[in-house]
Amino acid sequence: MKISRRNFFILASTISASFLFGNKVEAVEGKYATLVDLTKCDGCKGESVPLCVKACRDYNANRFPNPEKPILPYWPRKTYEDWSDKRDKIDTLTPYNWIFVQKVNIQGKEIFIPRRCMHCDNPPCVRECPFGALTKQPEGNSVINDKICFGGAKCRDVCPWHIPQRQAGVGIYLQILPKYAGGGVMYKCDLCKDKIRKGEEPACVTACRSRSGKEGVFTFGIRDEIYALAYKKVREEGLFIYGDKQNGGTSTLYLSAVSFELISKALQDKKERFLMPVHVENKIISKFNPIGKIVLASGAISMIGATLAAFLSKKEKKEACEDEKD
Amino acid sequence: MKKIKRHSLIERIEHWSIAVSGIILLFTGLGCLPLYKRYYITEIPGFGWTADFYTVTLVHYVASIIFVSAVIFHIFYHGLRKEFGLLPRRGDIKNSFKVILAMIGIGKEPPSDKYLPEQRIAYVGIGLVVLTLTVTGIIKVLKNLEWIILSPQAESINTIIHTLTGFLFIFVLIFHVGVVLLFKSNWPLLKSMFTGYVDEEYAKHRHSLWYRKYKN
Ligand code: HEM
Ligand code: SF4
Ligand code: SF4
Ligand code: SF4
Repeated sequence: MKISRRNFFILASTISASFLFGNKVEAVEGKYATLVDLTKCDGCKGESVPLCVKACRDYNANRFPNPEKPILPYWPRKTYEDWSDKRDKIDTLTPYNWIFVQKVNIQGKEIFIPRRCMHCDNPPCVRECPFGALTKQPEGNSVINDKICFGGAKCRDVCPWHIPQRQAGVGIYLQILPKYAGGGVMYKCDLCKDKIRKGEEPACVTACRSRSGKEGVFTFGIRDEIYALAYKKVREEGLFIYGDKQNGGTSTLYLSAVSFELISKALQDKKERFLMPVHVENKIISKFNPIGKIVLASGAISMIGATLAAFLSKKEKKEACEDEKD
Repeated sequence: MKKIKRHSLIERIEHWSIAVSGIILLFTGLGCLPLYKRYYITEIPGFGWTADFYTVTLVHYVASIIFVSAVIFHIFYHGLRKEFGLLPRRGDIKNSFKVILAMIGIGKEPPSDKYLPEQRIAYVGIGLVVLTLTVTGIIKVLKNLEWIILSPQAESINTIIHTLTGFLFIFVLIFHVGVVLLFKSNWPLLKSMFTGYVDEEYAKHRHSLWYRKYKN
């Protein structure tokens, strides 16, 4: 990657601007949010592929990985993650399928849950990527840069839902130490970054609404309005909500007529790859940040201590010199 | 034999707290990369905790309390006391070669002040790496706290600088420890980093300029 002089200038000025203006430079949460009303999803009965899934696959088809074969295993291990022969798989998240529809049966009722990245407010995948390959955009979405992703899959480990998916045999690691470090590129939903930047809706949202004779499952819009709408429905329709508190808040709000405790348990019982735990702690906030405050405070105390110590020792020195003169 | 004070208690505490916390930061920093699981480090008895990124990073954070405090103390304490003996001077590069050649037995060392020219050059190298890690690390702490909101590019660049400088830290650490341990002529300095004193003979012989000032 090239760090141009311009980027360096952007870095320098953003850092100083951030110090000057604090949190006002950009809203923390981002501009948009999505409401996913599960009471309206029937899993696209009668369609061979759910429309949201199909729309995502079509819209993003030219961004899917095309690995070079043969693929090297992750030395010293003998394994590697390759989904390129399973491009047609639509019932789970893969590098070629960024949204899928889960099905659970609760008290005789079928519930369909479209699953994709939640686009968290303080996303661990972004904050923890050691290569800066993930970013949180002003629109609120978290985006993987496939040109710098090394494929170590740390984002998947630190994501409470383990959303990002890895494909080996593509990416920058092939140019560096392909045998010893890196493992491909991670892929996941980026909330249709190019569309939403232009003010358009994500492809899956439009596709779902286009189904004849049905209300859309998704409502995409300005975050504050979506949150307000979701809470209104919780109040007025007695629905349960998921995503507003989990992981410290996200920009994806699920609404359901059955509680998420039950949904979570049903997914667990089915041994699903992707679960929906109800209590999701954001460990950056709960574990790191208290220590982070101590780091900053001790830095400040150390500065004051050093200043005092320097002046006291100077005074001593001076007095000692004067003593000698006497 | 007469002893001469070389490292004050404060300097020794600074040195060893940066050294120890730096090594912990290096180990846990590498643990923040997705490496240890792949290379079975997490399966070594006693290293199971490295399997969880949140635990490794937490230790990284804790060690950085000491590191950051010591680095800031070092800059302010010696800066305000106007102790700039470790900053490079004119002719240091040329004289460094002479010192290094003398260490391997070629030619004679030029007369030195309290610090060898090679030490002053190394100080700048180590200092820049440590300072970069400290500044980018503090920015990481601040963005995790969301006390600063960086633009996406700025956050990326800061992260990349921290990670790459972390690798540079490995090289400066090996270089620094290597130069001290490999050359017998440096051993009195190592002893002094524990005790605070060097032999008068050593100072007279190797740091003649310093020795003369000291005697006056
Ligand atoms: C000897 C000095 C240091 C070395 C070798 C080092 C190395 C590293 C490396 C290789 C990483 C992994 C890359 C990443 O996760 O972004 C990292 C992460 C990090 N370092 Fe350091 N570092 C050092 C000092 C510091 C200091 C002084 C601070 C704090 C003031 C700091 C704060 C952090 C933070 C906050 C992270 C990100 C952890 C995360 O959220 O995943 N580091 N460091
Ligand atoms: S397109 Fe809409 S109705 Fe169909 S599966 Fe997706 S969310 Fe459900
Ligand atoms: S759901 Fe996972 S991948 Fe998506 S933003 Fe949150 S932490 Fe990142
Ligand atoms: S928002 Fe875009 S990328 Fe994400 S699941 Fe929907 S169509 Fe796919």
